[in-house]
Amino acid sequence: MSQQLGIIVMVDVEAALKANTLKGNTYLFDNMKLQGSEGLGTDKLISAIHGSSYIDGSQANEQVLNWLPYGVGSLPPTLPKSFLADKSKNSDLKALEDIKALADKITSTDTDEFTNVDDVIEELKRISKSTGIKTQVQDKYSDTTRDLGTSGQKIMDVTGELISASKDKIPEINSLNPLITDISGEAVDKKIIYPAAYGSPDMVTDGWYWAASVDTSTPGTYAYTMDIQLYKLIWSDGVWTWIPVHMKCEAYIKISNDQKKNGFTNAGVGYLPIPIA
Amino acid sequence: MESKITIFSVVDVIESLSGGTLLNGNLCMMDNSPFESLNQGTPNLVTLCYPGQLIHWTILALDLQTPVAIRKITFLNQDGSSCEPIPADPTQLESDKLHLNVWSGIVPYYLVPGVEYRYRFELQMYEGKNCLMYVDTPALKRV
Repeated sequence: MSQQLGIIVMVDVEAALKANTLKGNTYLFDNMKLQGSEGLGTDKLISAIHGSSYIDGSQANEQVLNWLPYGVGSLPPTLPKSFLADKSKNSDLKALEDIKALADKITSTDTDEFTNVDDVIEELKRISKSTGIKTQVQDKYSDTTRDLGTSGQKIMDVTGELISASKDKIPEINSLNPLITDISGEAVDKKIIYPAAYGSPDMVTDGWYWAASVDTSTPGTYAYTMDIQLYKLIWSDGVWTWIPVHMKCEAYIKISNDQKKNGFTNAGVGYLPIPIA
Repeated sequence: MESKITIFSVVDVIESLSGGTLLNGNLCMMDNSPFESLNQGTPNLVTLCYPGQLIHWTILALDLQTPVAIRKITFLNQDGSSCEPIPADPTQLESDKLHLNVWSGIVPYYLVPGVEYRYRFELQMYEGKNCLMYVDTPALKRV
């Protein structure tokens, strides 16, 4: 079993949505630079994959590719995936506490701070502002929308703070992480790679990731296409809604295949070179 | 009798490079010898074997995203010396063909029973000045 090969697909979500293309707005990286990968950090990555075979031509080890998509302006992937959901839920709980505290103050205060209706309204406005903005997400195949996450996640800025804004103005937001929804193209059609989405208990990749095993017996350069789903935040029917936007991104694998040899003899197997005692 | 013994090593590449050592549990060596090999799970593994058996070394990185390969296995003289030098400048070492090596060989008949034949186990992790690490401690021993 050999080293797992990782391909990072980093998308500048905001720029890609603006230009309506991933071209020039995607940065691809892999961990095979020493093996001869080209175009790292660009949108034209050629990943070098070193296959190996035994003298009879049979494949000697399996190469496995893993794809991970990230957003340039998304929350850092090292944060637990529940970070946004927790923060959204906590803001609701905090608001309930604040309202309870306000009620206590109104009933028990000796001063006249909260006896005036205007003051109470001001305080309620402050509390409602701190709860942030709830969002919905639109279904991929229809116009129906649903809560994002279990309780409707909110909009967060790039520093991890919930934001409040009117429908006219949304400041710097943390965009949702891009998703890979399919991998297809020449390398799949020619049965060079066998990609699939796998479930994983990994807290980082939201439980799903794309991986493929590679048939390295046919050296050459092959193209493949990733279907990538981004989310655009728009104001629709009185709610902020994440609308899925689909784009495609092409990349390449360059497969070589060399024969295995014995490390001691550089040829076939022999006696171990042990000095006589 | 089992005619093949696999010596399987697992290395924590990140910890080894961070600490600059294969010791402290960063390298674990195990085998499936039918005899009672000594010091299983440590870099001091003594594999008990019999002449004519095939020994096969394999290695795996604990974190599968990190690169590691066996660069060389050199059997030492009884005084611990070796005529095979350790590369003076590790920055000159290349790593892209290491995966093609199969480290296996047959135990010779002239081994003296009960004597430990130690070997230098050289590992290479990616490239650069810290890429080469080795231990002189594992051994084969004829039963």
